[in-house]
Amino acid sequence: MSEFIKPTPMPRKYFTPTVIFLSVIALVGIIFVFARLIFGIGTVTNLSNQYPWGIWIGIDVAAGVALAAGGFTTAALGHIMHKEEYHLITRPALLTAMLGYTFVAMSVAIDLGRYYYIWHPLIMWNGTSVLFEVGICVMIYLTVLYIEFLPIVTERFIGRVNLPGLLKKYNNSVDKFLRALDRGLDKTMFIFIIAGVVLSCLHQSSLGTLMVIAGPKMHPLWQTPILPLLFLLSAISVGLPMVIFESVLTSRSFDLKPETPILAGLGRMIAPILFIYLSFKIGDMVIRQTFVYLTEFNTASVMFVIELVLGIIVPLRLFMSPQIQRSPLGLSIASFLVIFGVFLNRLNNFIVAYTPPYQFTPYFPSVGEIFVTAGFIAIEVLLFRAFVMIFPIVSVPQIPAVHKTKFSIRGAK
Amino acid sequence: MMNYKIFIWMLIVPFVINGQNKISGNHSTQNLTCSTCHSCDIPTKENPCIKVCPRESMIRIDQPVTDAPKIFVINKIRETDIYSPVKFSHLAHAEMSGLAGGCRTCHHYNPPGNVIGCSDCHESSRKRTDISKPDLKGAYHQQCMNCHRAWSGSTDCTVCHELKGKEKSQTSVVSNNKKRIHPEIKTPDKISFAAKTKQGKLVTFYHNEHINLFSLECSDCHSNESCIKCHSTNKTASTKTISEKIKHKKCSSCHNTESNCSSCHSNSEAGGFNHKSVTGFDLSKFHSKLDCARCHTSKSGFKGLNNECKTCHGTWTLENFKHKSTGLVLDETHSELDCENCHKELSYSKPVCEDCHDDKSYPNNLPGKRAK
Amino acid sequence: MANQSRRNFLKTSALIGAGLTGVSSKPAKAAPNNILDENRMGVLVDTTVCIGCRKCEWACKTAHNLSAQSIESYNDRSVFKNMRRPDDKTLTVVNEYAAKGDDQFPVDVKVQCMHCDKPACVSACIVGAFSKEKNGSVIWNGDRCIGCRYCMVACPFQVPAFEYGKAIQPEVRKCDFCFDRTKDGKLPACVEICPMEVLTYGRREELIDLAHQKISLYPDRYVNNVYGEHEVGGTSWLYLAGRDFHELQFPKLGTNPAPGVSEAIQHGIFAYFVPPIALYALFGGVMWLNKNRKQDEHKEANHE
Repeated sequence: MSEFIKPTPMPRKYFTPTVIFLSVIALVGIIFVFARLIFGIGTVTNLSNQYPWGIWIGIDVAAGVALAAGGFTTAALGHIMHKEEYHLITRPALLTAMLGYTFVAMSVAIDLGRYYYIWHPLIMWNGTSVLFEVGICVMIYLTVLYIEFLPIVTERFIGRVNLPGLLKKYNNSVDKFLRALDRGLDKTMFIFIIAGVVLSCLHQSSLGTLMVIAGPKMHPLWQTPILPLLFLLSAISVGLPMVIFESVLTSRSFDLKPETPILAGLGRMIAPILFIYLSFKIGDMVIRQTFVYLTEFNTASVMFVIELVLGIIVPLRLFMSPQIQRSPLGLSIASFLVIFGVFLNRLNNFIVAYTPPYQFTPYFPSVGEIFVTAGFIAIEVLLFRAFVMIFPIVSVPQIPAVHKTKFSIRGAK
Repeated sequence: MMNYKIFIWMLIVPFVINGQNKISGNHSTQNLTCSTCHSCDIPTKENPCIKVCPRESMIRIDQPVTDAPKIFVINKIRETDIYSPVKFSHLAHAEMSGLAGGCRTCHHYNPPGNVIGCSDCHESSRKRTDISKPDLKGAYHQQCMNCHRAWSGSTDCTVCHELKGKEKSQTSVVSNNKKRIHPEIKTPDKISFAAKTKQGKLVTFYHNEHINLFSLECSDCHSNESCIKCHSTNKTASTKTISEKIKHKKCSSCHNTESNCSSCHSNSEAGGFNHKSVTGFDLSKFHSKLDCARCHTSKSGFKGLNNECKTCHGTWTLENFKHKSTGLVLDETHSELDCENCHKELSYSKPVCEDCHDDKSYPNNLPGKRAK
Repeated sequence: MANQSRRNFLKTSALIGAGLTGVSSKPAKAAPNNILDENRMGVLVDTTVCIGCRKCEWACKTAHNLSAQSIESYNDRSVFKNMRRPDDKTLTVVNEYAAKGDDQFPVDVKVQCMHCDKPACVSACIVGAFSKEKNGSVIWNGDRCIGCRYCMVACPFQVPAFEYGKAIQPEVRKCDFCFDRTKDGKLPACVEICPMEVLTYGRREELIDLAHQKISLYPDRYVNNVYGEHEVGGTSWLYLAGRDFHELQFPKLGTNPAPGVSEAIQHGIFAYFVPPIALYALFGGVMWLNKNRKQDEHKEANHE
C-alpha cells in the first residue's frame, strides 16, 4: 500500500524575521551561559542558600521534561497501541522530545555547581536519591531518544551520502554502514520504544517525588505524597496537546494545511486524561483538606487557582466540545491552555510552593536566568526548524489526500 | 617580686580549694529532708537514687571571709591558650555578697566542714565520662557570668581575663587599710518615698542617719539583692511594683509598721531624727557625744529606754555625781544637800526651790555659779 | 518475517530484564555507610546558659580554615540586630532573641547542622556525597559532589550552603561536627572553646537523659521539650530552652524522618526493579498483541 502522506525534508529559506529575533535571544542567552561558566552561578543568578533552585530547574528542567512528554505519549499511542494513523505525528514529537531532553540535560549541566562532574551519577550511585533516579532515567532516555532518531538520519542519507573533498572515497563505505545500521535498528527498535515509554513513566513521576523530600518547605497546596502520580498524569495529559500545538505551529510556519482529522482524533483523547488528572488533583485536595488554604489570598493560592481553572478545567471543557475538536484554532487554544497549566504546575511546584523556613529576600529570577532560559528555548525552536528542513520529519501530502475513514472512525468517541 | 606573689597564691589556692569532707554528724540533726538528696521515695542500698547535684536545696554553711585568701588565681584550666588566668578577688566578692545571697551565691554546695572547692566536683577536662555536671571551665563561667553579664551587659572576656601575651602590669586589687575593698558607695542623704495612701503620703527616709546614727550595716537592709540593682546598664528592671508588705518589711525590724503609721508617714517632708521630739528625751544637753549603743545596748534594735537616769547611771549620790558637769557649781550650802532635796523627779530635771525658799525660783535664782 | 521478529522480541526483552535485575543489587553496595551506631555522639545545647560571646563562631572558622577575624572582634554584639544563618563562610552562627517578660537575659541560640539521625541530605544526594558516620556526624564528601544543591532543597533545617561565587570546585558547606577533630579524639572546636559549656558533648542517649533530668530539676527554667529528641526522627544536636522553641525560630517539624515519604515512594516504585520490569513486560505484551492483531487484520483484508 502506498502512503498517501509521507515525512519529507522541507527545503525553505531558513532566516525569517522571527528566526533572526530568536537568534538574538539565543545569542544573549549564550553570553550569559559563558558568564555563568566563568564567574560562577552567583554572579548570573539570584539563587541563594534559601533558594537553591531557580527557574533553570523549575522551568528548563521540570517544565522542559513535562513538555517533552509528547515523545513518549505518541510513541505509546503510535507504536505500543499500534494506531498507525498517528505514526505521522510521532516524528515531530520525537524530535521535540529529543531536542527538549537535550536542553534539559544542558540546563542541568549549567545549573550544576560542578558541571564537569555531570557524569558522576553514572558511577556513584545512591539508591535512595530520587534525583539519582531521575538523572539516570533522563540520561538513558536521552540515549534512547537519539537511537530512536537514528532511522530518520539513515533514511535521509542512505543512497545520498555525499562527503566533501578527500572524504569522497569513503562515500560507499559510509553508505554501507548506514544501511547495516538501519537494518539492525529496524529489528531492535521496539526494545527502545518500550524502554523509552517505561523510562518516561518512571522519571516523569519521579520528578514529582523530587519535591516530596522538601516536606514542610513546600506549600501544602502542592505538597502531597501522590505528587509522583500527579506529575505522571499531568505529563501524559500534556503530551498530546503539545503535539497538537506544535503541529499547528509548524503547519503555519511552513504554510501547510493542518492535519485536522488526526489532530481532532488526538483532541478527543485528551479530555478523559485531563479529567482523570483533575479528579486526582481535586480528590487529593479534598482528602488532605488543603482547600482551606484557598481562602487565603496570596501568591500561592492565586497561582493554584490559575493552574487549576485555566490549566485544567477550562481546556477540559474546550476539549469536550465537538466544534473545538474540529477547528485547528480551537484545538491549539485548548492545547495551549493545557501546556500553560502544566508549565505553571511545574513552576509552582518547584518555585512558587517552595517557601524556605528562613527567608531573607524572596526569589525572583535574575535577568541572566531569564535570558538563559529564553535563549535555550530559542535555540530549541531554531534547531527544530533546522532539523525539520534537513530531515524527513514533517509529513507532507504526496498525492491528493483521501480520508482513511476506517481509522478515524475507530478513534472517535 | 610580682612572680613571687603569684607563686605564693598558687601555693595557697589548692590548700583552700581542696578538702572534700563528709556530711558530718547525723542526718537527722541537719535541716534536711530525704528528697533533698534522693530522687525517689524509698532509697535502697542498691538503688540510692541520689540526685546528681542537689544544689538548690542542700544545706549550706557560711564561713568567715577572713579564712579565705584575698585573691585566687584561677589557673586550674589549662586547655585554652588564648587568655591568661583570672586573678579573682575573693575578698571583694565575698564582701559584696553580703548584700546578695551571702556565700551561697557562689558556694552552692557547702556542707559543714571545710569549704569545698569547685574542682572537687567539677572535672577539669571537658572530655569526660560524667557529663551530668558542667566541667570546671563551664562551672566557673556559669557562676561568674550570671552576675557579670547582668550588670555590665557585656560578655567581653577581657573584663576578667587578659589576653595571653598582653597582660598589664599587676594592679593591686587589695588596699589593706580600707574598711572595704569595694570603692566607696555614694549613698543619698535622704530619700522621699511617695506612698499611695491618702493620709501620710510622704515617707522621708534619712539614709545617712540610718548609717551614721543608727550604725546599720548595708547588709542589714540590703540583703538578697542582685548586683544589678546598682550595676546595671539599664536600670529599668528595678521599677517593678512591689507590694506594701514587702516595702514595709525592710523597716519593720525596727519600726512598728503595723499600727504606728504616723511615725514614718506624714503629709509633708519630715525632719531628720530628733531624739527629743521622738522619745521626749533630750540628748543635746549631756548625751550628744555618745554613740547610740552606749545606752541602747540591746542588740535587737533600739528599744525605748526608761528616761530615768538610774537606768544607766544607777542612783546618783553626792559621791558619784559632780554637779559641775551640769554647768552649775553648787555653792557651799547646796553642795551638802542630798540630790532628792531639790530634784524631786527621777529625771533630775528642774530643781524645786519652793520647799525651802519662799521667794526663790529656778532659773531666776541659782543655787551656785555657772561654770565657765 | 513476523515470526522472526516475534522471537527476536522475546529474546531481547529477556536479555534486558536480566540486565536490569543484575544491576539492581549494586546501589546498596555503592551507597554511603549510614548505620546508626547506638554509641553515636551528640551535643546538648542549653540555650539558657549561652551568653552570646560567639567564641564558637571564631573557633569554628579557625578549625575549618575559614579566614576568621581577630578573636576580639567577635565581642561585637551589633551582629545580633539581624537574624543570621550559617552560610558557606560561617558554618555556625549565634542569634540573639530579646528578653521577654520577666526574663533577665536575652536568649542566645547557636545554629548549625543538626546532624539528623535520618538525614534528608544523605537520602537526597544524587551521588551519595553525604554520609551519616558512626560517631553521629553527617559529613560531605567533596570528591563526589556535583553541586546540584538538592541537599539544600531537602534539608528541613535549611543548613547546607553553597559557594555561589565560585565557578570551579564550589563546595557545599555545612557543620561537619568537626569530623576531622573527633576522629583524632579531640572535641568539636565549638564544644572545646565554649566558656560556659553551653555545649555538652556526649553520647546522644546520655544527653537525652541529662536533658530530661535538667528539665525535671528546674521546671521553671526550661520548657518541657528537648528539641531534636524526636524532630525528623531525632537529631544528634539537642536543644534546651526557656521558652517555646518556635519563638526562637526553630522550625516546626514532625517526628517523621525527613526522607521517609520520598524513600517510601522511591522504594515502592523500584522494589527490586520489579515494577519497572513489569511495566516493561506489560507494554511489550500490549505492543505484541496489537501488532499481531493489525497484521491479522491486514492478512484478512488481503485474503478478501
